[in-house]
Amino acid sequence: MSEISGNARAERRTRLVAAMAVEEIDVLVVAGNPWRSDYLRFALDVTPIEGHAFAFLEREGPGRIIVEHPAEAARLRSEQPLLQVSWSPSPIAETETAIRALGGRRIALAPLAAVPHRLAIGPLGSSVIPTTALLDRLMLRKSSSEIDAFRRAAALADEGYAVFREAARVGRPEYALVADVEAFFRSRGCPENFQILGSGGREVRGMHPPTERRLVAGDLVTTELTPCVDGYYAQICRTLVLGGPSEAQERAFAVYNQALEAGIAAVRPGATAGEVARAQNEVFRRHGLGEYVTAEYTRVRGHGLGLYVDGRPAVLEEVDLVLEPGMTLIVHPNTYHPEVGYFVHGDSVLVTPEGCEVLTRTRRRLFSVPL
Amino acid sequence: MRRGLISWSREEVPPSVLNSRVARLQGEMRAADLGAALVYTSFARPSAVAWLTHFVPYWNEALLVIFPTGAPVLLAAFSKRVLEWIRSVSHLGEVRSAPDLGRAAAAFLKERPPEPSRIGVLELDALPWTVAEPIVRGRFGELVDATGLFASIRQPADDAEIRLARRAAKIAAQALGAIPVGVQRASEVLSALEASARLDGAEEVLPLIAPDLRAGATLRRFEGDAPLGERYGVELSVAYKATWVRVARCFSNNGLPQSWRGAAEWFAQTAARLNETNFSLEPLPPGAPPPGKLTAWTLEACLGSSPLSVAASSGAPARSVLPAGSLASLSLQLSLDDGPWLGGEPLVVGSGSRPSRRLI
Repeated sequence: MSEISGNARAERRTRLVAAMAVEEIDVLVVAGNPWRSDYLRFALDVTPIEGHAFAFLEREGPGRIIVEHPAEAARLRSEQPLLQVSWSPSPIAETETAIRALGGRRIALAPLAAVPHRLAIGPLGSSVIPTTALLDRLMLRKSSSEIDAFRRAAALADEGYAVFREAARVGRPEYALVADVEAFFRSRGCPENFQILGSGGREVRGMHPPTERRLVAGDLVTTELTPCVDGYYAQICRTLVLGGPSEAQERAFAVYNQALEAGIAAVRPGATAGEVARAQNEVFRRHGLGEYVTAEYTRVRGHGLGLYVDGRPAVLEEVDLVLEPGMTLIVHPNTYHPEVGYFVHGDSVLVTPEGCEVLTRTRRRLFSVPL
Repeated sequence: MRRGLISWSREEVPPSVLNSRVARLQGEMRAADLGAALVYTSFARPSAVAWLTHFVPYWNEALLVIFPTGAPVLLAAFSKRVLEWIRSVSHLGEVRSAPDLGRAAAAFLKERPPEPSRIGVLELDALPWTVAEPIVRGRFGELVDATGLFASIRQPADDAEIRLARRAAKIAAQALGAIPVGVQRASEVLSALEASARLDGAEEVLPLIAPDLRAGATLRRFEGDAPLGERYGVELSVAYKATWVRVARCFSNNGLPQSWRGAAEWFAQTAARLNETNFSLEPLPPGAPPPGKLTAWTLEACLGSSPLSVAASSGAPARSVLPAGSLASLSLQLSLDDGPWLGGEPLVVGSGSRPSRRLI
C-alpha cells in the first residue's frame, strides 16, 4: 500500500466514524462484490475480486470481513493483517449469524446496491436506505488524498489514450486495442479499467466491449477509458478517425467540442448536475440535433467518478443534486450523430471553490490516424 | 469490468446446445411445479445466465425469466441502444430494456403471470434487494430458492463447454509462457499476461502474484508494483466465452528447482485420481504421498452464478457433488523443503473407472 493510499484509508475512516457517531451507529455492516466494491473500499479499504463480501465496522478497532473464498480470505489477511478475516461458502448466512450475535447494539446495513434479499428482509432492512444515503454523502465529496488518487488516475487516462491512438490501426480487431491498453495500464501498476469502444460509421449507435471487428479506413473509433488508481476511477472519452476526417466528421466534432466546453463551464459550486446537462444539450438543440440528446440515443451527459466507475450524480437535466467543491465527475456529451454515427468526447473534472479544474489533459480534437 | 472480447460464435456454441440447456432447466421446473425461474446476472455473477443464453454483462445487471416452455426473456438494465449488441452476442427469445430492473421484473410478471404461480429464484438469498423488493411486494406467488435445482443440471459439462475450457486453458498457458525470463517486477509479469491473454481473445483475465515465494505463497492483487523474489508464483484465471479456468505456476529466475519437478508430477497424479466418488484430497490419496506438506487446496466448479465456486477445499467437508464429466479447477499449495510451491489446472472429473482429464 502506498503512503497516499494509507492516508486515504485513514481519512475515510475518520469521516466514517464521525458520521457513525452522529447517527449513533455502533456497527456498520457493508455488503459488496466485485461489481459494487466501492462502499467496501470506502469503509474498510478492501476490494473483493470474487464472491460476496460483508464487512463489519465498529467505531473502534480494525474491523472484520466475511468473504466467500479461502483464497480471498488469505489475500485480505496479507493486505491488512489487523483485519479479522474469515471465509464461508455461505457468506450471507454467516453474516446473518454474525449480525444476530451482535445482540442489542445499534447496527446499520448498506448499501442498497449490494444488500442481498436475505439480509434485507431481516431486522436491519429498514436501515438500508438511510445508511446508504449517509455513505453516499461521505463518498461524494473527496478528501485531499482521494483527490490526489483521482488526479493520478486522470493522468493515467491521458497516457492510456495515447496508447490507444497508437494501437488503432487499419486491420486490427477491436479487442487488440484493448489488449494494448491493458498491458500498458498493468505496466503502470493499474489493476482495473472500465473500457468500451465502437468502430465504424453511421451504423454505429453506441459503444460496447471489444468485438472481432477489424478496423477499416475511414472508421470513427470511439472509446471511453477509465483506469483506477488506489481505488479511484477517472475517465476520458475521445474519438479518432482512421485517415483524414471528412467534412461531416469535422462538423460533428465542432458540435461535441462546443457541448463539452459548455458543460465544463457550467460546473461550479452551487450549480446542479441538471444545469451541466442542460448546458451541453442546448448546444445540440441550437444545431438542430435536439433529438439526439434524448434517451433514445444517449444515456447520460456525464456522471460522478470516484470509487465507482459510474457514480452519482448522473448528469441529466432532471437531476437537481447541487455540486460542491471536492466532487469529481466526467462531463461527456456522448451521443449518436445522424451524419457520422456515435461520437464521444469527455473530460474528468474536479469541482473547486472557484469553479472546476479539468484533470484530463489530452487535446480536444478529432484525432486522425495516418493510414 | 469486463473489457476483453465478448462475442458469440455459433460454431463454438451452437444454438442447439443452449436450447438443450434451457430445456433441461425447463424439465426440472415442470417437475418442481415452478411457473417461472428467475436468474440474475451481473458483472460479478454472470455464469448461470451465460451458460443458458451466452449473454455476459460487461457491466450493469439483468434478470433472465424462463417459463416452463418457450425461449428465455432477458430484462436488461441497459439503455435501449445496447439491446442490439445484446442480441448479437446471445441466444434469447426477447430482450427488454429495464433500467429499473426490479420494477421492470415485477411489471413483466404481472403482464405474464407464471402458471403455476410458484417462482424459482436461483440463489434467492443473494438476489439484490433492489431487484427482489418489487417482486416480493408484487405478491406474484411463492418465491422459492432454485439453487439446488439449477446445480442439479449444471454439471457435467457438455462438449461445447469443455472445448471452451480447453481454449481458455490454452490462453492461460500461453500467457504464462509469455512472461519474460528474468523479470524483476510484478508489473512486468502482469503486463505480459494481459497482453498475451487479451490478444488471444480472453474475455477476462484475473492475475494474482505471490511475489516472493521465500517470503510466502499468498497470492496478491497488485495496485502499484513490487519487486519479485528469485522465486515467485502466478495464478491466472481466464474466461473465454464465459467459461472460466484457473491455472497456477511457479517461476524461478535461477533455473527450475528439482523439487518443483517432483511437485508437478505429484500434482498431475493427484489430479488424475480425482473422480466423482472421491473428489477430495482429504485424506490424501493412498500410495503417493506429496513431496512435502500439502498446506492448502481447493477444487472449484461452476454450479450457479459465480464463475467458480468451492466444491471442496482443505479443512472443510466437500460441499457439492461433482458428477463424472464435471469441469473443475484444482489449485493447491505444497510446502517443500526449499519453500512453497503453487500449482493449479482445469480438469474434467473422472469416473470410478476413468481418470480425470487435464485440459493443459
